[in-house]
Amino acid sequence: MAEPEKEFYLYKLEAVLPADRLLTVIVIADSDEKAFAYAENNIVRHTIVPPKIEQLGIVQKKPLGRGGVGYVVETSQFADS
Amino acid sequence: MANVRQWKWADDPTINDMEQAKLVKDGLDVIETIVEKYSKEGYDSIEKTDMDRFKWAGVYQQRPKDGHFMMRVRIPSGILSSQQARALAGIARDYGRDLIDVTTRQAIQFHWLTIETIPDIFERLKAVGLSSFEACGDCPRTIVGNPLAGIDPNEVLDTRPIVKELEQFFVLNRDFSNLPRKYKMSISANVYNTGHAEINDLAFTPAKKTINGEEVIGFHVWVGGGLSAKPYLAQKLDVFCRPDEVLKVAIGVTTLFRDFGYRQKRTHARLKFLVADWGADKFKEELLKVTGPLESRGEDLTQGWKAGYFYGIHEQKQKGFYYAGLSVPVGRMSAQEFEQLADLAERYGDGTIGTCNSQNVLIRNIPADKVDAFQSEELIVNRFKLQPNTYVGYAVSCTGTEYCNLAIVETKERMRRLAEYLDRTAPQLDTPLRLHMVGCPNSCGQRQIADIGLQGALVKTENGMVDAFDIYIGGTLGENARFNKKLNGRIEAEQLGPVLAQLIGVFAEERVPGEAYWQYVDRVGVEHIQAQLDAIRSADAV
Ligand code: HEM
Ligand code: SF4
Repeated sequence: MAEPEKEFYLYKLEAVLPADRLLTVIVIADSDEKAFAYAENNIVRHTIVPPKIEQLGIVQKKPLGRGGVGYVVETSQFADS
Repeated sequence: MANVRQWKWADDPTINDMEQAKLVKDGLDVIETIVEKYSKEGYDSIEKTDMDRFKWAGVYQQRPKDGHFMMRVRIPSGILSSQQARALAGIARDYGRDLIDVTTRQAIQFHWLTIETIPDIFERLKAVGLSSFEACGDCPRTIVGNPLAGIDPNEVLDTRPIVKELEQFFVLNRDFSNLPRKYKMSISANVYNTGHAEINDLAFTPAKKTINGEEVIGFHVWVGGGLSAKPYLAQKLDVFCRPDEVLKVAIGVTTLFRDFGYRQKRTHARLKFLVADWGADKFKEELLKVTGPLESRGEDLTQGWKAGYFYGIHEQKQKGFYYAGLSVPVGRMSAQEFEQLADLAERYGDGTIGTCNSQNVLIRNIPADKVDAFQSEELIVNRFKLQPNTYVGYAVSCTGTEYCNLAIVETKERMRRLAEYLDRTAPQLDTPLRLHMVGCPNSCGQRQIADIGLQGALVKTENGMVDAFDIYIGGTLGENARFNKKLNGRIEAEQLGPVLAQLIGVFAEERVPGEAYWQYVDRVGVEHIQAQLDAIRSADAV
C-alpha cells in the first residue's frame, strides 16, 4: 500500500477583528495547524500594530495538485451586479 | 487505445488543461484501463493523468489519499429492486467496510474501496442492471426524480419509462461523454417538486397545455441550476414538452451545453454560466434550432415543495396499496440494514426500494392487509422510523472530514448527534425544519436550500483548533425558491446545539400557526434573527 501523499493546500482564513471588520488571509500549508501559524505570521508582518483578532478561522482549502487554484476575496466595495 | 472524437473545440488553444486531457483520452476510456491494468498492477501504477478520469467510472479518491476510493452508483429516479439492493449491500460488506450512504442526488455511495476490487464491483453491478459509470465526471450524472414514480397520487404521469429512456440513451454515449463540466438532470411529474428542479442543470416539471382542443399532460423545462460556491437557480424556458419529446429536448439542451458551453475555465463551465449569458429567450431560440419546433409554455402544475420527504404510510395511486416513507438518519446505514430493508420490501411490498434526495428511503406497494404488521417490524419501530422526530427526520449532511479531501470539519456523525440533541431539547414542531450541514463551501449537502444551513470552519482558540459553523437561514425551493442567508457570528461546534435550540425556541414562540421557517424569516427579517443570535452569543459569553 502506498504511503499517504503529503498534500499541500491553498487555505483561505478569515480573521474577525473588532467592530465586525474582517481580514482575509490566503496561505499555502500542508496541515491545518501550519495554516493557522502562517496566517498569524502574515498578519503580524503585514501590520505595524497587530490587530486584535477576535477569531481566526479556516473557511476553505483547495488542493494544490493542479495549477490555478485560488480565491476571490470580496471587499466592501464589491457589489454583485 | 484512446477512442476520442474529433471535437470542434479540439483546435482551440484557450481551453483548459482538463479539456486538453479529455481530448487525449476520453474519460470513459479509463474504465478499460482500470479493469485491464490498474486493478492488476495496483494503486502505485495509476498514472496521475488518469486519476481525474476515474470520475467517469464513478470512482473518486477519498481522504486521506492512501489508496482508498469512494464509488457512486447511479439509481435513476431513486428506484431500485431488492435484488439490486442486495447486490449493493454485498459490495459494501465485502469491499466497503460495511458502509452505505444515500446521497442528496438519490445515489448510493461506497467508501474504502481499493483498486483491486473495482472490476469485480463493476461486474456485480452489471449483473443486476446497475452502474457507476458517469456517476461523477464531466458528463450526464444520475437522473434524479420521483422515487414514487408509477404509484404516486401526487404525480401527473408515470416518469419511469422516460427516465429509463434517457439513462439508456446518455450513459456510455460517447457523443455526450465530454461535456464542459458535470451535468445534472432531473425529471419528476410530482406536483411537489420532488426532483429539486431549480438546482439542476436541466429539469422537467409537470405541466399541462391545451393543444388543438386536447388537454396534454407534459413538462416545463428548466435550465442552468446549480449549487457549489456560486449557487444559481434554474430558469424556466418558454417551452412545453410532451412526454415523448423529453428525450429530444434533453438531447437538445445537452448538445447546446456540449457545443456552446465554456471550456476555458473549469470554474466557469457549468451550464448556468451559458444560461446567465444567453438568457432564457435566446436559450430557447438556440434549443429550437436543435430540436425543431416545440410548443410554448402551458400551465404549471407544481403546487409547492416537499423537499423529497415522504414519511409515514400513504395510499398509492393504486387503491388498497400503500407506500412507506422511512427515515435514515443522515443517509447512512450498514450493509446488513440495507439487506433487512430489501427483506421488508420483498415480504411486504413488491420488492422495490426508493432512495430520496432527502437521504432517506421508502418501500412501495404494501397491500392494506399487511400495513399493520409492517409498522410493527422491529427495524421500522427502532431504526428506519415512519415518523421520526422533528430534527433527526429533517437533518441532511455531506461526508465531511471522515472521507472528503476538501472538508474543513467533521459533519455526518456530528449532524446526527446535533439532531438528536435538538430532539431532546428544542420544541417539536408541526412543520419540518430542514437542517443541512456541510464541511466546506462546495455544498454537497445542499446547505443553500436548508431552512437552517450550517457550514463548517476551523477556528483557533485558547484551547487549540476547534470546529465551528456559520449559520445560514431561510432557504427553500418551489414557487418562492431562494437560497438561505448568512448570519454573522460563527458558532463553535460545542455551542451549536444550545444556540440552535434557543434560536428555534424563539421561532416556535413567534411563528404564526403553520408557518414554515423560510416564511418566518421573510416575515420577521434576517436582522431580527441576527439580533437574536447576537443576544444568545453575548449571554453565552458571560
Ligand atoms: C469524497 C467526497 C466528496 C468530494 C471530494 C466531493 C466533491 C465535490 C465538489 C468539489 C463539489 C463542487 C462541484 C462544483 O464546484 O461544481 C461537489 C458538489 C456536490 N456534491 Fe460532492 N463530494 C464528495 C462527496 C459527496 C457526497 C457524499 C454527496 C452526497 C451526499 C455529494 C453530492 C454533491 C452535490 C449534490 C453537489 C452540489 C453540486 C451542484 O448542484 O452544483 N458529494 N462535491
Ligand atoms: S461539502 Fe465539502 S466537505 Fe462536504 S463532502 Fe462536499 S466537498 Fe466534502
